[in-house]
Amino acid sequence: MPLDVAPISRSYETQRTLNPPGIPAAAPLPTGETDDTRRIRERFGDDIGAAGLHNGNQVVYVKPAQLKALAAFLRADPQLQYETLIDVTSVDRSHLPLNGDDARFQAIYQFRSYTRNQHLTLVTNCEAAASPAPSADHNETLLPHIDSLTGVFRGADWPEREVYDLMGIQFDGHPDLRRILMPKNWPYHPLQKQTPLGGEEVPFTLTWDDPEFETLGAQILPAESAAPDLPPGMSRENMIINMGPHHPSTHGVLRLVVELDGERVVSIDPDLGFLHSGFEKTAEHKRYKDFVYYTDRMDYLSAMANNLGYCLTVEHMLGLEIPERAQVIRVIMVEMQRIASHLFWLATHVLDVSGTGMSLLMYATRERERILDLFEMVCGARLTVSYIRIGGVWQDLPKAFITELKDFIRVMPQKIREYEAMLTDAPLWQERLAGVGYISREDGLAMGLTGPMLRGSGVDWDLRRDRPYSGYEGYEFEVPTSDRGDCYGRYRVRMEEMRQSIRILQQAVDTLPSGLYKSNNRKVSAPPRAELDVSMEALIHHFKLMTEGFHVSPGFFYHGIEGSKGELGFFVYSDGSAKPYRLHVHGPSFNNLYAIDHISRGEMLSDVVTNIGSIDIVLGEVDR
Amino acid sequence: MGLEQKVPEGILTTTLDSVINWGRANSTWPLLFGLACCAMEMIATGTARHDIARYGSELFRASPRQADLMIVSGRVSNKMAPVIKRIYDQMSAPKWVIAMGICASAGGPFNNYAIIQGVDKIIPVDVYVPGCPPRPESLLYALDKLREKQARESISADRLSQAEEQLAIEEIIPLGA
Ligand code: SF4
Repeated sequence: MPLDVAPISRSYETQRTLNPPGIPAAAPLPTGETDDTRRIRERFGDDIGAAGLHNGNQVVYVKPAQLKALAAFLRADPQLQYETLIDVTSVDRSHLPLNGDDARFQAIYQFRSYTRNQHLTLVTNCEAAASPAPSADHNETLLPHIDSLTGVFRGADWPEREVYDLMGIQFDGHPDLRRILMPKNWPYHPLQKQTPLGGEEVPFTLTWDDPEFETLGAQILPAESAAPDLPPGMSRENMIINMGPHHPSTHGVLRLVVELDGERVVSIDPDLGFLHSGFEKTAEHKRYKDFVYYTDRMDYLSAMANNLGYCLTVEHMLGLEIPERAQVIRVIMVEMQRIASHLFWLATHVLDVSGTGMSLLMYATRERERILDLFEMVCGARLTVSYIRIGGVWQDLPKAFITELKDFIRVMPQKIREYEAMLTDAPLWQERLAGVGYISREDGLAMGLTGPMLRGSGVDWDLRRDRPYSGYEGYEFEVPTSDRGDCYGRYRVRMEEMRQSIRILQQAVDTLPSGLYKSNNRKVSAPPRAELDVSMEALIHHFKLMTEGFHVSPGFFYHGIEGSKGELGFFVYSDGSAKPYRLHVHGPSFNNLYAIDHISRGEMLSDVVTNIGSIDIVLGEVDR
Repeated sequence: MGLEQKVPEGILTTTLDSVINWGRANSTWPLLFGLACCAMEMIATGTARHDIARYGSELFRASPRQADLMIVSGRVSNKMAPVIKRIYDQMSAPKWVIAMGICASAGGPFNNYAIIQGVDKIIPVDVYVPGCPPRPESLLYALDKLREKQARESISADRLSQAEEQLAIEEIIPLGA
C-alpha cells in the first residue's frame, strides 16, 4: 500500500480575508544606489534589472543568464569581496499580480562580505518550465530552472537542494540534486502555492461513533522495508553503515550513511527531514503575530533567540520603534538562552565523547535548570517561551527576577571554571578533540558556515558586534576566536562565549532602564488588559488585532541575528496582507551540518560522533 | 518473553501477577529516543533535579530489544513514521507507549502535510500527556498512570501479545536478510 499523501484542502484555512484593494501586491523594486550596486551596474550593465536599497538592504535583480557570472564576480572582485553565500531561498509569485512576462518563481540569494561588513541580496527570475501550466504531479521536465551556484560557492549545495525539494526549482549543473527533506518519492513540492497546506480536518465533535476512533491504535502506515539507495559517490566495496535516525549520538533524528574503509571514514551522506514539520508553509497561513509561537519550536534549545530573530525582521518591515527597556530585557533573555544552549551542548558533547560522562550532564543541566526557572518566572514556560513578541516582550519582569538573575550571574563564572577544570587539560578530552574535525578558514567561508564553527576557524565575526541589533552596540564584550579549526578550538570558543554572555548580562542588569516593556503602538501590540475596561478605542484595537492582525507593507527583508549556533536569519516576503506571503528561515544548524562530510573524511568512526557534537545541531532547526 | 513462558497451562497465576507487575512497574526502562522539543524535557526528567530514577526508569536503553517503554517525545513526521513503527515492532513484549506532548498525541500546532496527527495512528498508546512540552512533572505523573495500568495487567493476557509479537518478528525478518 503506498503512502497516502494526497494534500487535503481545508477551505477555512486558505480563505482570503477581506483585504483592501491593492492587496496582494508584489514587492516594489529597490531605489537609490550604493557603491556596490554601482560597481555591479558598471560591470554588468543591462543585465541588471534593478539595483539599490530595499527595506535598508542592498538588493540587485539580475537576469538568469548572468547569475553565475555575477556570483563569481561578487566573490572575486577586490572591491566587493563577498566571500560567503549565506542563504538561498525562493518565492512562488503565482498569487501576486504579475505583469505578462514576469516569471512565476524567483530565487533569492543572500551574500555576505565579512571583510567589508556588507550584505547583499540577489534576486533572479527562474526560467519558466517547458510547459506553462505547472502540473501537480511530479514531472522533472516541467520544473522551472536556474543555474546552480555550487561551482562558485560550495555551500550552495544543500540550500539549493532544499529549494528544489520544497519549491520545485531545478538547479542546472548541481552535482547532486536529490530531495533533501521530504521522502524521496514524495509526489509534490509543498511550498508551491497551488499545493494546499494539508493536514487533517479537526474533529469538532468527539463521540465514539466517529470513524476517527475505528482506526485508533491500528497501523495505518505500512512499515515495509525498501532496499536503501546507495548515496551517489559511495562504493559497495567499502563498508556502508547506517547511523540513525534512532541513534543516541546523533542529537535527534538525523540519519548518517557512513562509508567506511576499515575504521576510517571515506564519506558521509546525511539524510535529513525526519523532523520536517512544514514551518515555512504553516507560516503562510498564520498572521504575523501568531507565528511567534512557532519559532520556539524550531531551535527548541534557543527559543528566545528564535523569537527575537523573527520579531526583529517583522518590526523592521513595519518600521517599529522598540522601547529602551524592552530592548534590554530582550538582550538579557537572549544571552541567558545562549548560556543555556551552550550548557546543553556541553553536556551532550561530553556524554557523546566519553560515553559515560554522565556527571557533566548532571552539572550542566543543574545550571540550565536555573535559567529555565528564570524563564518560567517571566513567562510561565520553560522551553517554548514565546516571551519576545512583536513590539516588545509579553510582560514586564517580575520583581524577584533581577535578584535571582544577579545571583545567577554571581555563581555562574565559578561553575564555568569547574567545567573547564574537568575538561580543558584533561588528557582524554584533548585526545578526543584536538586535531579532530579540522576545517580551514577558506573552506568554512565557502561552505557558508556561521557562528562558533566559523569563529573556531579564525574568522573574527559576530553579528552582535558587527551588525548590531537590539542595542548590542552599547555593550562591551569580546568575540572569542580560535585559529585551531578543530573540535577543541570550537570547544574553547563556546566556553569563552558563555563568559562573555555573563559579562553582557551584568551590564544589562546594571543599566536596565525603566519605562515601557512593549511598544505603545496600538496597531501592532495589544493594549494592556486594564485599559480595555475603560477605553473603547483600546477595545477596538484589541479586537482588530486579534481578529485581523496588522498589515505589513509589500516587500521583502532578510535579517540575521547571532544565535547560539550561528547566524539565525529570517526572510519575510510580504504581499501587504496580514499574513506572510512567504517566510524562510535560515537555520545555522542546517548549513553547519553540511560540513560533517568534509570534516570527518579520513577520521575514525568514533570521531564522527565528536564532530556531530562539535557542530552543535538541533534537528528541529535543520529540518524545519 | 521470559518468565511467563515457563508457567505451564492450567496454573493459576494471580499471586504471581502481582509480583511480576510489581517488578515491571518498578523497572520500566524507557527507550533512549528523542524526537523534538519534548525530548529536551524528557532529558530534563532524567537528570538530577527531577530524577526519574525514583521510578526505576533512569536506564534509558538505546536498543529497542532492551527497552520496555517508548516515550514518543515530539512530533512524528511522515518520513519518521515508518521508522517509529519499526522500532516499536522490535521492542519485546510487554511494552508500553507514552505519547508525550500534544504533537505525539494529536499533531499539536502542526496540522499540515508533514506531520502525522498523533502517533496513535501507527502504534497503540497507553498514556497521553498533554502539554507543549509537558513539564517533567507531567511526565512523571504519566509514569504514575502507567504504573496503575501495569498493576491491572496479567501475564496470562500477555500470552496473546506474545503471539502477536511473533508475527511482528516474522514480518521483520526479511528486512535483515
Ligand atoms: S508538543 Fe510542543 S514541545 Fe512537544 S514536540 Fe510538539 S511542539 Fe514541540
